[in-house]
Amino acid sequence: MGWGMAEQSNAGGPASSNEGLFRRLLRAAEIDTRMLGMLAALLLIWVGFDVMSAILRPGGGGLFGGSFLTSRNLWILLVQTSVIAVMTTGMVLVIVLRQIDLSVGSMLSVVAVATGVLQVFELGPTLGVGHPAIWIIAVIFAIALGAAIGMFNGVLIAYGQIPSFIVTLGGLIAFSGAAFLIASGVTVAPMDKTFKLIGGNGPLASIGPMWSWVLAAVACVGIGIATLSGRRRRLKFSFAPKPVWADVLTVVVGCAAVLGTTAVVNSYLWPARVAERFAVENNIPIPAGVENRAGLAICTAGDKVVTCLDGLSFQTGYPIPVLIMLAVGLVMTFVARRTRFGRYIFATGGNPEAAELAGVNTKRLTVMVFTLMGALVGISAIIASARLDAATTALGTLNELYVIAAAVIGGTSLAGGIGTIYGAIVGALLMQSLQSGMALLNVDSAYTNIVVGIVLVLAVFVDQAYRRRVK
Amino acid sequence: MTIDSIQTGGARGVPLVELQDVSIAFGGIRAVDHASVDLYAGEVVGLLGHNGAGKSTLIKVLSGAYKRDSGNIRIDGKEADISNPRDAKAYGIETIYQTLALADNVDAAANLYLGRELRTRWGTLDDIAMEAECRRVMGRLNPNFRRFKEPVKSLSGGQRQSVAIARAIHFNARILIMDEPTAALGPQETAQVGELIMQLKAQGIGIFLISHDIHDVFDLADRLAVMKNGRVVGTAHVKDVTKDEVLGMIILGKCPPGAIPGPGAIKEA
Amino acid sequence: MKFKILTLLAGALLMSATSTAVMAAGKTIAVSWKTFQEERWKTDEAAIKAVVEAAGDTFISTDAQGSAQKQAADIESLISQKPDVILVVAFDSDAILPSIQKISDAGIKSIAYDVQFEDPNALYITFDNVGVGRIMAQEMLKVKPEGRYAFIKGDKGDPNATFLFQGQMEVLKGAMDSGKVTNVCETFTDGWKPDNAQKNMEQCLTSTNNGVDAVLSENDGMASGVVAALDAQGLAGTVPVTGQDGDLAAINRVALGTQLVSIWKNSIDLGTVAAKAALALADGADPTTIEGVAKFSGGKNGVEMNAILLAPTPITKDNIQVAIDAGHITKEQACAGVAAGTVPACN
Repeated sequence: MGWGMAEQSNAGGPASSNEGLFRRLLRAAEIDTRMLGMLAALLLIWVGFDVMSAILRPGGGGLFGGSFLTSRNLWILLVQTSVIAVMTTGMVLVIVLRQIDLSVGSMLSVVAVATGVLQVFELGPTLGVGHPAIWIIAVIFAIALGAAIGMFNGVLIAYGQIPSFIVTLGGLIAFSGAAFLIASGVTVAPMDKTFKLIGGNGPLASIGPMWSWVLAAVACVGIGIATLSGRRRRLKFSFAPKPVWADVLTVVVGCAAVLGTTAVVNSYLWPARVAERFAVENNIPIPAGVENRAGLAICTAGDKVVTCLDGLSFQTGYPIPVLIMLAVGLVMTFVARRTRFGRYIFATGGNPEAAELAGVNTKRLTVMVFTLMGALVGISAIIASARLDAATTALGTLNELYVIAAAVIGGTSLAGGIGTIYGAIVGALLMQSLQSGMALLNVDSAYTNIVVGIVLVLAVFVDQAYRRRVK
Repeated sequence: MTIDSIQTGGARGVPLVELQDVSIAFGGIRAVDHASVDLYAGEVVGLLGHNGAGKSTLIKVLSGAYKRDSGNIRIDGKEADISNPRDAKAYGIETIYQTLALADNVDAAANLYLGRELRTRWGTLDDIAMEAECRRVMGRLNPNFRRFKEPVKSLSGGQRQSVAIARAIHFNARILIMDEPTAALGPQETAQVGELIMQLKAQGIGIFLISHDIHDVFDLADRLAVMKNGRVVGTAHVKDVTKDEVLGMIILGKCPPGAIPGPGAIKEA
Repeated sequence: MKFKILTLLAGALLMSATSTAVMAAGKTIAVSWKTFQEERWKTDEAAIKAVVEAAGDTFISTDAQGSAQKQAADIESLISQKPDVILVVAFDSDAILPSIQKISDAGIKSIAYDVQFEDPNALYITFDNVGVGRIMAQEMLKVKPEGRYAFIKGDKGDPNATFLFQGQMEVLKGAMDSGKVTNVCETFTDGWKPDNAQKNMEQCLTSTNNGVDAVLSENDGMASGVVAALDAQGLAGTVPVTGQDGDLAAINRVALGTQLVSIWKNSIDLGTVAAKAALALADGADPTTIEGVAKFSGGKNGVEMNAILLAPTPITKDNIQVAIDAGHITKEQACAGVAAGTVPACN
């Protein structure tokens, strides 16, 4: 036995001999270099915006004196990203399967408006406004409706054998019409007060500093256990584990990222007005102090409540939509990498015929992927309408483009078979950073659109150049 | 003219596989037209014919990739219900396709276990166990193979072939279909495939070997069947026919005296 | 002042509708709608029909279903029914012109209803769109004569977004020149989308460290996003916000105090005035003699037309009753969650 001797020479590859030390380290640690590149780009954008906003309007309190790298802006940035990020995790799987879903924006409109009508016009009057069951019913309804619409798409694509581009293009047009009809075009508002918390607005919509730290600690321990068990299993099957330093580095960097993010969200203090209202409602004494407009704490100066540097303040911690985004990212990564379902999606995307011949039921798989996409749209619809505290037909318009763009910027290949969940989430964060940053600089949205469009094309260009080099 | 059982040297009981009167048409074209072939345990049957003669199509009916329009498939003498690849695998039928049918974007272990993944007790993929097993199997087939972490797209033709073969033989196949297994290989690798076929045959596995190379078939097969225009020209024991006679079968559809004529044989004037 | 007068005028026309009815009996008034998909046109139709039928005249209408071709065919079929006046809500204001010519050729009068087409023989009846921006700024100046203003404009591709902003600037010019009012943020909002407005407002508040005293949002949908962004900072209700359209949710926000004003174009007013004018034309009145008619040449090609420009109604806490009385919104919808004694209409 033993063919393949002819390939011995390129098994190690001539490229490896002149590979730099850094590259070899990355390879040994099995680190996604593409991801590192994206994070570097993200960081560059953030620093750039902070510096530019410092020039434009100094005294923002950011890392470089601007208003971008402030805990407040980063906190809001994460919340702003959540709607697109949740959907983009599903879009990655859809695109990996060599399909596309153009209907997610319109689907979001339908689900948001239907859920709004359900809670405002149906459940409100029957159960009484503010009834604790309303938000639960609304959440279940939204996810189920999203999944049902997604499944409908999937069945048409898999069993009706209509290309997904056509089915979902039809959906893009038809669902927005349906969304209009459900509420005759009116804005449905306001949402249930508990439901509204899912959007991240208001003091109760964040879990506070203590639980944020608890969560961070759990995440750190989780990273440690996962790394350790991976190591142990490799040893059990007696093949070489990663070098010890690489595992240690993974745990240290991962943990530092978690703790750093937690520190940032915790250092965003409740807005002064919100803190004041909360203090008054809960009979919390407000200390005396000296007014300072730049401060975030609250004090009393005479009988007036003012902002000051030292005084009463509350830390926000992780807002609920961001926790949902992180949870969805985690679950979807698990689904993509650790389940048979995920493996089949990737294998089918790589070679549909091979997967079919290997016994994968690709039709059922397609229906399941689109159903999952729909359920995720349901979650995004909940966050979007809760955050706006209103449901309108316009809510999801054009979201499909941002969702697809985020997935593509995040390294998902439209040819299918390639993509990562975390990459897509970072893609969504990168795109939202550009939009928020330019809004912060008061740049006309026309320029923002131009920049986002260029970044999309550039990302794919750099990606392909990178892949060619790796080959 | 002798009957088949005498020709192949003694009674061997029920054939492992019998394809009886199988027909399949695509649009108006009869790709396979009332074809019948059988295969015994521990036997290699070569399927010969031009491109488009219907040999790959016939074999895809057996592997479940195509659904036949009419005819029967019997496994161990019993009627078998094969309408998709999953059914075929359940009967112990494994196939190495000419295209290899590998998912290019995942690694060797994922391809080896595609459709039959090992799972942990929580139902998640046990990638480490799969990789360990893959290393064991590939170690036997191709000791120089090291690229377990890379998608198979980046492997060479020979390495990809070994992954496809590993997948076919790893799950206790009883019936193995090899569609042009040496087409992409050099002479040395071709010899290795030959060795492997002999080993598998010795283990009692029945093998259909599809090839357009007469020499391969004469070297490896016990019997051969020739197809032309979707019909079986004839079947013969390799000892009973010459290469020239087989060429005559392939090209002209002329059935020599050493072979049993099929529906595709031209009638002698 | 001009707007006040026009509003009064609209009311006067409304009240005198029954008195003119007697003289116009036996006429036929036709309408060619561009699309009935949009809820609002049903309100307009009801208003026109009420006036026409109260006068003992006949009302007929067609729905072009959002197609310029169908609208042309619709108008031909209307002409063949020989009405006295045809009101046209043009789907495409250029493509409609040959059809308008046919109406004139048949000796029938035409009215451009809400959507302008530039034919000098037609009477144009609409709300004063440029005026909406002025009213927003006027209402805002009443409560914030000085302060830091944020401008949340509509979609950059929609000329109305710029018209509204120009109207606002006309009114604010004095206060801005004297430094009393400053412009701290000014952004277009893609697609007039509420969630985009919310993000823009969030970034505006971040960049100014909540240094915003007033927000001029160009419509109610965007106002909902602005209010949500303000609410997150505890500023909803203290920073006044404008809007337009009379969205039900916006009127509720006005009652709750989180939105200052919603400029409402009452379709019933528009329909009533148009029906009245149509009946007058049917009686052979010279368009220039109809009350409220003035020359208008602010269209794309600057063609001079006779026009009635109605002033929209600013809905504030004090006059929510107007919208309730018009049947535009129920008291329950308008007053949901409103504390007792804060809004006159909710008591």
